Amino acid sequence: MNEIFDKLLIRILFTIFICVALLLYKYAHLIFYPSSKKQVFRRIYPSENYVDTMHFFSRLIGVSIIFSSLEFNEYIGISISAFHFFVWSIIGFTFYLVSIYIMENIIFSNFEYKDEVLQKKNPAYGIISFVNAICLAFIIKAVFKESENSIVILVILWLFSLVLYGISTKFFKYICTIHFDSLMIQKNIGLGLAYSGFLFGNMVLLRSVFSHEHLQIQSYLILVVLKTLLVILIMPLFRAGIHYVFKIEAKENQELDQDESTKHLGQGIYIASVYLTTALLTSIIVSQIHFGTIYPFF
Amino acid sequence: MNKFIGYGILLLIYLGLSKSLSPSELGISYINSKESLSKLINGAPSTVILTDIHSIGFLIKTYYHKYKVVHGFQSYEEIIVRTSKQYSDSIKDYLGMSIFRRYPDGRETYTPLPPGSIFIGNLSFGKWLRHNSGDKIWRFFRVYRQIPTFLGWLDFQPTKELHDMILIYEKENKPLHGLNNEFGLLGSITKKKYTPYYERQKPQQIEIDRFLKNYLKENFIK
Repeated sequence: MNEIFDKLLIRILFTIFICVALLLYKYAHLIFYPSSKKQVFRRIYPSENYVDTMHFFSRLIGVSIIFSSLEFNEYIGISISAFHFFVWSIIGFTFYLVSIYIMENIIFSNFEYKDEVLQKKNPAYGIISFVNAICLAFIIKAVFKESENSIVILVILWLFSLVLYGISTKFFKYICTIHFDSLMIQKNIGLGLAYSGFLFGNMVLLRSVFSHEHLQIQSYLILVVLKTLLVILIMPLFRAGIHYVFKIEAKENQELDQDESTKHLGQGIYIASVYLTTALLTSIIVSQIHFGTIYPFF
Repeated sequence: MNKFIGYGILLLIYLGLSKSLSPSELGISYINSKESLSKLINGAPSTVILTDIHSIGFLIKTYYHKYKVVHGFQSYEEIIVRTSKQYSDSIKDYLGMSIFRRYPDGRETYTPLPPGSIFIGNLSFGKWLRHNSGDKIWRFFRVYRQIPTFLGWLDFQPTKELHDMILIYEKENKPLHGLNNEFGLLGSITKKKYTPYYERQKPQQIEIDRFLKNYLKENFIK
């Protein structure tokens, strides 16, 4: 019985420790978002500004996703494992917040957090920001897993993944006819959905591109590049296949009399769904076909 | 049209990069003729025995050869090389045979001969003994007693008659499968020694009932 109580106590101690880590995150958030000082330190009323609520809690979910990749190894000693968790959690949310900062500057290059969230309460901005934060958390989680506690490899992979993710966001204009800036100004939810599907799809692809055996960093990165090229080659085939099989007509039906927002909502759902579907199917081709090696048979 | 051109260019880039960067492409030599084999072999006297032929791939095949390199004064080594279909087909009949020899004077020959032809009759490695049947048979000195095992002879005993034939066939550049077809694809000793190759050549028969039963058992019941 003593042992059971001891283990329970250790679990509770680690729970408190994670809460302390969250407190640290709260202060780290201020470094990258000094303008949200009031938002972080005042009492939060989720119903007051739902866009701001999405914006804030997406980061909390993201940090939890990154924390979920960390482990406590009690058998090496509580203090050592707590220290390990402490170090890697700081590294984790530092990388995470830097990633969000960079990516939001790329995606929302013509928009300001203050204007869109605090003043205009733009739902499109909120949705995209929410999805972007979660996608980045999943990417960093994958990078953490592949780095296997090596800070050098972690930095290389993190930079590499950020470059790929950043470049991938620039392809939005090639996959649909929706104009990002003008619809963002119009607070169009269709844009939010379309871009969310696009970001989710990119996250799925990036995770599949990074998921392979990691023996040597050079050959690992070469395979990442090759898999990225493979993604670019395979995705259009799935996209064409889906359009052909389900007879999807991306152009507007002129005979129907619909208002602009309804049209864009449908378009947004279509773009998000098709892109996410093609990304998931492409990830099978890229990372889930195993050819084996000749040596066992020879 | 531009899209197709762009796609084609991307495809070429992918293939080019895969070829030059992929780790699986590195570290394995490619040979497409018997002459290119010489570069892979160091030292003399040495002989190369073709011990296995394998092809992988679903629609486009890649061919591999496994060679055993038997040296005179050291242990053997095994090498795997990638090869072309033409070359693979051209030497398929010589499985279990010596397809390359480098003599101590640096002379190289490629005539397919029984394994160990380079050592038979070389009095630095062994001597001729009179057998009960009246034939002279080759026996390696005690220090080289492992060589017949390396060569995959099993119970084979080379005779003086075989040695004479080897000299004639090598001079005329004609393949020799042994006095009684012991070596080569249809050779009796090759069939015994290199069974994995022959096992792979057998057509795979799948019994649907048994397959389904095992599949259900392994995936849903176990």
